[in-house]
Amino acid sequence: MPRHLPGEGAITAATASTASTRAGALAWAACALALLLPSAFAAAAGDAARGLYLAKAGGCLACHTEDKKGATPFAGGRALKTPFGTFYGPNLTPHAAAGIGRWSDADFVRAMRHGVRPDGANYYPAFPYPSFTGITDRDLADLWAYLKTLPPDPRPSQPHDLRFPYRWRYPIVAWKWLYFTPGPFASDPRRAPMVDRGAYLVEALGHCGECHTPRNYLGATKKDRALAGGKGPTGKDLPNLTPTHLAKWSDPELKDFLLFGTKPDMDSADEAMAEVVRNTTSQLTPEDLAALMAYLRALPARPDEPATSDKKK
Amino acid sequence: MRSKLLTAGLFLAIGTGYACSAIAQVKPETLVEQRVSAMRLQGKYFGPLGGMAQGRIPYDANIAARNAGYLEVLSKMPWDGFEPSTKDLKTRALPEVYSEPAKFKAAQDTFNVEVGKLVAATKSGNEASVKAAIMDVNKACGNCHDTFRAKAQ
Repeated sequence: MPRHLPGEGAITAATASTASTRAGALAWAACALALLLPSAFAAAAGDAARGLYLAKAGGCLACHTEDKKGATPFAGGRALKTPFGTFYGPNLTPHAAAGIGRWSDADFVRAMRHGVRPDGANYYPAFPYPSFTGITDRDLADLWAYLKTLPPDPRPSQPHDLRFPYRWRYPIVAWKWLYFTPGPFASDPRRAPMVDRGAYLVEALGHCGECHTPRNYLGATKKDRALAGGKGPTGKDLPNLTPTHLAKWSDPELKDFLLFGTKPDMDSADEAMAEVVRNTTSQLTPEDLAALMAYLRALPARPDEPATSDKKK
Repeated sequence: MRSKLLTAGLFLAIGTGYACSAIAQVKPETLVEQRVSAMRLQGKYFGPLGGMAQGRIPYDANIAARNAGYLEVLSKMPWDGFEPSTKDLKTRALPEVYSEPAKFKAAQDTFNVEVGKLVAATKSGNEASVKAAIMDVNKACGNCHDTFRAKAQ
């Protein structure tokens, strides 16, 4: 199938904004520039079958499907309880009123890469666009093509239920300026291609760090502590994915866990992760699963976060 | 007849009293050891069921029925080990076990109900429904662990 490769514009914008984060105030200009660009390349025709696979690898289903038997996939409704309040995953089906049926290609790209709604308001980073910004143009086009094939569902998206100061969306502008660097994932030619692919799956699509990387008091992930174990939405400590502990698991053990959710001691994964195993890691191609593992193995061993929720250890 | 009943009732009452006071006197460390053992044994007998449901190991109706039967009993054992006296010991039980007792009880009940359904499914002999029931039990395990059990160290 012929495919338009993404325009150069996005890459330039990404490079510009990465550099400008260091330069401080220039980030504003770069962000503004970046926001104008997606329409330039969003028209690429996507491959829906590939998009389905990417939606699995991206774990979209869990947050965008109600937590009950028989719920319509992607029609929204999952509650994500956080210290800032409860977020509800919105309806992702192409229903014109309830879902995203009226979105243009550019709207989708702008949401995923820049965390901006079609009406120009910012998304809360509960929608993990700090990770999704790394998704490549081609993958975005395929994901979008897949979402458009879903049956439209009229289930209305539920408004978030947030604590007082967080109801305002304006401060997200400042948050993004501080913590958000838009731009697709940059391959690192210094590492093995498999590790590089794994990095893309873990950091961008799979957004593993959204739960497994510690966050600061403003809810931003600490980049220098990536995947060293974070806090779940409820504040529960979650495992460190760097080799600090994981080195004790053999490759077959780690693979078994990612395919079936079974740990070496016959214990099973907690349901939050068991769901990720069912929806995502067990659905990966053997190559992608191997890449994911290779990347985790290649991480520098980082010490655990000081425990809080399990006070006794 | 009536006096015999009364005597029996009296002995029963005394017996129950002894049993209760005996439980109350068990050291917290022992209670923890026992409830952890009950959990581990559930892991032992649930593991192969999980493997069958996911197609990792061949389905065997006899083993499924046997393990489900074991689990039905085992799944009731850990709960009376979560005595307040064990609260401050080093375990993976999160403080929510004691701060949200009603929710904890509800999670136990859900789990026990799912195990009951699994046992019923193994008696029906329908492989697909046994496998579905196994996955439901697995979810009930994990749902409780999400809230009440700390991450592994």
